[in-house]
Amino acid sequence: MSTIIHAVFGYLFLLLIVRLLSRRPGGQLTLFEFVIVFLMGGVIILSTVGKDRSVTNCATAILTVGLMHWFVSSVKGKYPRFGAIVDGTPLTLLKKGEWQLEVMKGMRIDREDVMAAARTKGVSSIYDVAYAILERNGAISIIKNEK
Amino acid sequence: MATKPVTKPVQDSVARVNNEVAVGEDLDFQRKWWRFENAAWAFFTLIIVLDLAGLFGRGPIAKAERRTADGTIDVKYERIERTDSPSIMTIGFGPSAIQDGKIQLYISNSLVKSLGTQRVIPSPQDTVIGEGGLTYTFPATKPPASVDLALQPSGPGIYDFTINVAGAQPVHAKIVVVP
Repeated sequence: MSTIIHAVFGYLFLLLIVRLLSRRPGGQLTLFEFVIVFLMGGVIILSTVGKDRSVTNCATAILTVGLMHWFVSSVKGKYPRFGAIVDGTPLTLLKKGEWQLEVMKGMRIDREDVMAAARTKGVSSIYDVAYAILERNGAISIIKNEK
Repeated sequence: MATKPVTKPVQDSVARVNNEVAVGEDLDFQRKWWRFENAAWAFFTLIIVLDLAGLFGRGPIAKAERRTADGTIDVKYERIERTDSPSIMTIGFGPSAIQDGKIQLYISNSLVKSLGTQRVIPSPQDTVIGEGGLTYTFPATKPPASVDLALQPSGPGIYDFTINVAGAQPVHAKIVVVP
């Protein structure tokens, strides 16, 4: 019983913290962000299974987290507003030659991140980027200028 | 007959940027989210500060001391404990606690069961059950003398406990165990 409560709490708490930590942990994972993912995962598992390391207890925790994920995904599909709360919405970082500074500051994304995404698309100059969009999964989409 | 698959015609309902790129951006929602984010981080900072202060155990606020008016018993303990985390309760004895070279210490059952007394240091010479608790007997010479109880609460809650020595006023107090 306590494992289920701990797993539900752990899932919701981790979801909130990861959401608050901006989107980068899901998209462009740097070594710096790996620390957060591994450390939080390791800490949350301690309180979820506690001292009971039996297969039954661990399986119960996994099933609970799986069910929670299934439930959140279902609600997200049904209510787009809930989806926006859980995943956020796409945001424009660069629009027709203008950096969107409010978004970049709010999402803690700098110009080098956008340029890194541009390079992966074979774009060598920032002037060739028409739009840079921060997607819900943390990746940055690049739309080139039409020549 | 095979069931017909459920379909729906494609509609471009995603909000566009500059009427060119379908992005689905919602800056008003994002601004609200940033306000929520700032409030959440401020709240988390407050939690950390309160934790450092000991509001959730293991800090200055959590430490407590109870002493009987005549100084027979002096109990140092943590008024806020954490589930499954060990702590030490120290019971000090004044001169009047030692009678005939012995100290007879009574502790209520809540200290043993709810607050999870794991060990009594030093080991008592004798243990008697009854009156809703345990009475330990320790051979003793002169003060200062003390006994430590190693506690490890098994679950959250608010627990009353009583400690007494033969012929003295009892010490009553509460311990809050957080999850």
